[in-house]
Amino acid sequence: MEITTRKEKQVIVVSLQGRLDAVTAPELERRLSALIVQGELFFLLNMNGLEYISSAGLRGILATAKKLKEKQGKIVFAGLKGTVEEVFKISGFLSIFTAFDSEEAALRTME
Amino acid sequence: MLRNRGIAFKLILFFTLSSGLILLLIFGFNYRFSRLLFEKKMADDAENLVHAKVNRIESSLLAVQKVPDTLASLLENSPYRKEELLPLLRALVNNNPDIYGAAIAFEPSGVDGKSPPFAPYFFKQQGELKYADLGKASYRYDHWDWYQLPKEINHSAWSEPYYDDGGGNILMATYSVPFYRMSGSNRQFAGIVTADINLDWLQEVVSSIKVLETGYGFLISKNGTFLTHPLRELIMNETLFGIAEARNDARLREIGRKMIRGESGFVPFRSIVSQEPCWMYYMPVPANGWTLAVLFPQNEFTADIARLSRMIIILGIAGLLLLSIAVAFIARSITNPLAAMAQASKAIATGNLDVELPACASNDEVGKLAEAFRYMKESLKEYITQLTETTASKERIESELKIAHDIQVSILPKIFPPFPDRPEFDIYAVIEPAREVGGDFYDFFFIDDKNFCFVIGDVSGKGVPAALFMAVTKTLIKATAQRGIDPGEILTNVNRELSQGNDSCMFATIFCGMLNTETGALSFANGGHNSPLIVRRDKEPEFLAGTGGLVVGAMEDAAYATQTVPLEPDESLFLYTDGVTEAMDARGEFYSDERLNQQVAQHRGNPIRQIIEGIMENIASFSRGALQSDDITIMMIQFKKNEERTASGITDVRA
Repeated sequence: MEITTRKEKQVIVVSLQGRLDAVTAPELERRLSALIVQGELFFLLNMNGLEYISSAGLRGILATAKKLKEKQGKIVFAGLKGTVEEVFKISGFLSIFTAFDSEEAALRTME
Repeated sequence: MLRNRGIAFKLILFFTLSSGLILLLIFGFNYRFSRLLFEKKMADDAENLVHAKVNRIESSLLAVQKVPDTLASLLENSPYRKEELLPLLRALVNNNPDIYGAAIAFEPSGVDGKSPPFAPYFFKQQGELKYADLGKASYRYDHWDWYQLPKEINHSAWSEPYYDDGGGNILMATYSVPFYRMSGSNRQFAGIVTADINLDWLQEVVSSIKVLETGYGFLISKNGTFLTHPLRELIMNETLFGIAEARNDARLREIGRKMIRGESGFVPFRSIVSQEPCWMYYMPVPANGWTLAVLFPQNEFTADIARLSRMIIILGIAGLLLLSIAVAFIARSITNPLAAMAQASKAIATGNLDVELPACASNDEVGKLAEAFRYMKESLKEYITQLTETTASKERIESELKIAHDIQVSILPKIFPPFPDRPEFDIYAVIEPAREVGGDFYDFFFIDDKNFCFVIGDVSGKGVPAALFMAVTKTLIKATAQRGIDPGEILTNVNRELSQGNDSCMFATIFCGMLNTETGALSFANGGHNSPLIVRRDKEPEFLAGTGGLVVGAMEDAAYATQTVPLEPDESLFLYTDGVTEAMDARGEFYSDERLNQQVAQHRGNPIRQIIEGIMENIASFSRGALQSDDITIMMIQFKKNEERTASGITDVRA
């Protein structure tokens, strides 16, 4: 999996490409944790390039979300589609997280 | 062929060959150069020697010549009497050691034309001075060459050597000087004054020439006759041209001609005595045109060079041997540890890491190699020890995982039909665990006589943590369900329990259903699990709508709603985990909801066990041996029409 991060104002935009599964989820979790330790509080995960997400991937996202919640931070999602959107829907993640159609829409809201 | 030889052999071969070649070159150059030097020295020596001897002979001859020259001049210019001449002649012979004899031979007819032949002659015989008159009839001096030749040419001359038969009676050569008398105004031939030299004397002079062992000198006359020679039979009997003829040697003949012409030279020559190759230096004696030649035996002259060369060769060979030994020693000091290390590495290759390594005290490349080798061995040993430990612990973990896996499987109900005395419903489930311990589970149990609770779930992650979380979840659900609450409340309670202190953020997707086995009423709650398919009698299978609660264990305050759907007899619910829809083929393609739906539709109407087995087969043929990363779990529950129960008034309950 490919993880690219950039900062838009106060928001860290994380673009994911490939598969987020038991093998790649720890890597994502580690990188996001590092950013949180650096004091970042707002994250936008662009899932447009993500082909697959497993329960381990969901767990990683959940762990990150919990850390952010403690610090009054926030994580939102954009570009959910296909299987990934399906998984988000089934797992109920859409009921606890905010998802936007596009990165732009998400950033506009977060400003 | 060289390839298979050892380093020592190659080193010795190459060093010896190259050193041998260098030595040979040096030797060849040295030999050639010293030979040239020797030859030049020999030529110089030869010239000096022959010069000295020729001078010696020349001076003797000149001394001899002086006597008749003086006497002739005396006879010509002053009157004399015979009585006075004889003592004078006698004194001259006696006082001149080089002279063998001397004579004054008067022209027989004399100046006056009537004198008888008279030739007083004094000569030395066996140390005594003797007198003879050569004018006696038995001798007739006026017929001899020594008398005739100067008379004819009016000039003094040396005779060819001859045996003076009747005179001196030895082999001699005679110097003759004519003298004249004035008869009126005529200068008239009056006689010959002679002096003889004994060729034995020359023989002595020449034979004193000794060059090395076999070198010698010889003297030849103006026509090439040998005058002196170590081989006495040649003297006066053989000429140089005769030898050339016998040998058929044109070059020798040419040398002979040059000698007669009075030239000198240094030429190669084959000894007449020993037949060995020699160098010959020859030089004329100016006084009488004879030629002295000295032979320098080549072999003897080069013997020194040969000896020197032999010495050099022996030294060279000894040096080469020494070099070979040194090289062999060095090579051994390299190859012995190498061979030992090769032996040791073979032993190491077969797993013997305790093999003794060759001791190598030196600090050179071999020593460093040995050191590196020792280090490698130690590292290998350490590594293998660690690997053994790691493997052991890995095996232990794996065996623990295996146990976890066994426990996981063993806590799931596996006896079907589980309730053979309850014909009003049927349930069947299959779990195919992935290679690693996965987190799928299912469970079913009666809450009371009619309410049958069933659960299917999938815990996030894999391995021992997932198995533990699964066991906790399953137990928790069963315990909670026993309280007689509806599925929504069950999940809400379980979620709260699991969420507390869940630092690892593990969660489970759980579908919890409750079937009223009398009425077929199905109530359920879904905690983030895949929507089951509801298989109606008269409709295509469809995914159960309205599910979609949050996964269980994620948020402490999540609430789960209970929904209901009625099941008619022979209608069933098909439950599965995402291991089914996300089963992959070799190209990474998912099995997918669509395919599952279609397969379920295809098997509709069969007993549920057959449906599940059919679909498992279909998944297997779809993935065609591709390794599955997730557990595959399917559970199906079917409500059945039951006349007996309907008859016994259960319909009341349903109403």
